[in-house]
Amino acid sequence: MFDARQKSFHPIFWAMVVVGIALFFVPAFIIRPFRYQSPGALHLALVFRQLAPIGTILAASGVLGLTVWAWRAADRLQKILMAAAALLVVGSATMARMNYFEWMFHPVKQPGFEKADDAKLDDGEMVLTVSINGDARAYPVREMAYHHVVNDVVGGVPIAATY
Amino acid sequence: MWKRSVRGQVLHFYLAGINNQNFLMRDRETGTWWQQISGKAVFGKLKGESLELAPFDELSFGLWKKESPGGQVLAAVARDQKKYESKWEDEVLKLPVPVSFPGTALKSRDVVVGLEVGGDARAYPVDTIVKQSPIQDRLGGNPILVVAGPDGKSVRAFVSRVDGNDIELFRKSDSKEFALIDSQGSGEWNFKGCAVSGPAAGKCLQELPAIKDYWFDWRNYHADTTVYRH
Repeated sequence: MFDARQKSFHPIFWAMVVVGIALFFVPAFIIRPFRYQSPGALHLALVFRQLAPIGTILAASGVLGLTVWAWRAADRLQKILMAAAALLVVGSATMARMNYFEWMFHPVKQPGFEKADDAKLDDGEMVLTVSINGDARAYPVREMAYHHVVNDVVGGVPIAATY
Repeated sequence: MWKRSVRGQVLHFYLAGINNQNFLMRDRETGTWWQQISGKAVFGKLKGESLELAPFDELSFGLWKKESPGGQVLAAVARDQKKYESKWEDEVLKLPVPVSFPGTALKSRDVVVGLEVGGDARAYPVDTIVKQSPIQDRLGGNPILVVAGPDGKSVRAFVSRVDGNDIELFRKSDSKEFALIDSQGSGEWNFKGCAVSGPAAGKCLQELPAIKDYWFDWRNYHADTTVYRH
């Protein structure tokens, strides 16, 4: 598709594609439920997640730019490959900005509270409890097992109830 | 239950991943990654820091309500209310476990209460606690009391020492109401670990953070843990 002067197109283009995809998909693969994660693998995943927001944008910009630049000279098959690659990298850059763990367990944006007497809970239901400076709070385990984390202030002390 | 001030900065946490079925959270302020069970920063700007535990309990609602009249309860989020599973514990039991530790008498999803005292960690199977309560033990050089509450399911743990003296507490058997009694029979203690009569009246034992967890999860993050056996 190009003459010899543009030989470096392929390695640069595909390297950016690989980086752009790997930055999202490698940690997504490592950090998934029910799979054992060694400390090394977890560290690698977190390094990738740290780099992903900027890295995927750079890769996606580069891939898109090169695709546009090379489009007219490319044949049909090359166009299909470039478009598919660009789509994947843009998808990866989009996903790197999403917290998909919160899609399943919606966070409690603004925790609301009710008096113990008004709460519709059975006496036997388990609650996580904390009491600071005379301020007592209960977090029903059934709710915590869904939301997992609630940022709160109890007795003037900022706490995070986690489960 | 963690305090969320670190180096003078208040952090806001959100769910950000799963590590061997224990969740990872991040804070909005620094983007640091924290392990939920240990409160340790595992990656990012604050790596190496540890969150400070906020003293907490896991109690039945009825018991807590009696102990803390005027307390506040986290309200259900209306949108998600239907997704709260009343049988979630049964559902979790069906899930696979990412790590297992053969060679122990416990099964991966046996529920234990984990204690850490003086550098030593020990797991107390909840079934055993409920059967034997109160359990007297020694851990990390300290006398330990693990006790199930009047509801038969809430569990608390204490350092059983008053004014520098180790004490032993037993279940008062000749009483309908829940009460613990010391070995001299001179005073009664309640489930909060406080003496309600006798020479120590008004004094309370130091409560320990008792973490209820699945055995595999506790063992995974406490490699040197022992298991309580009577």
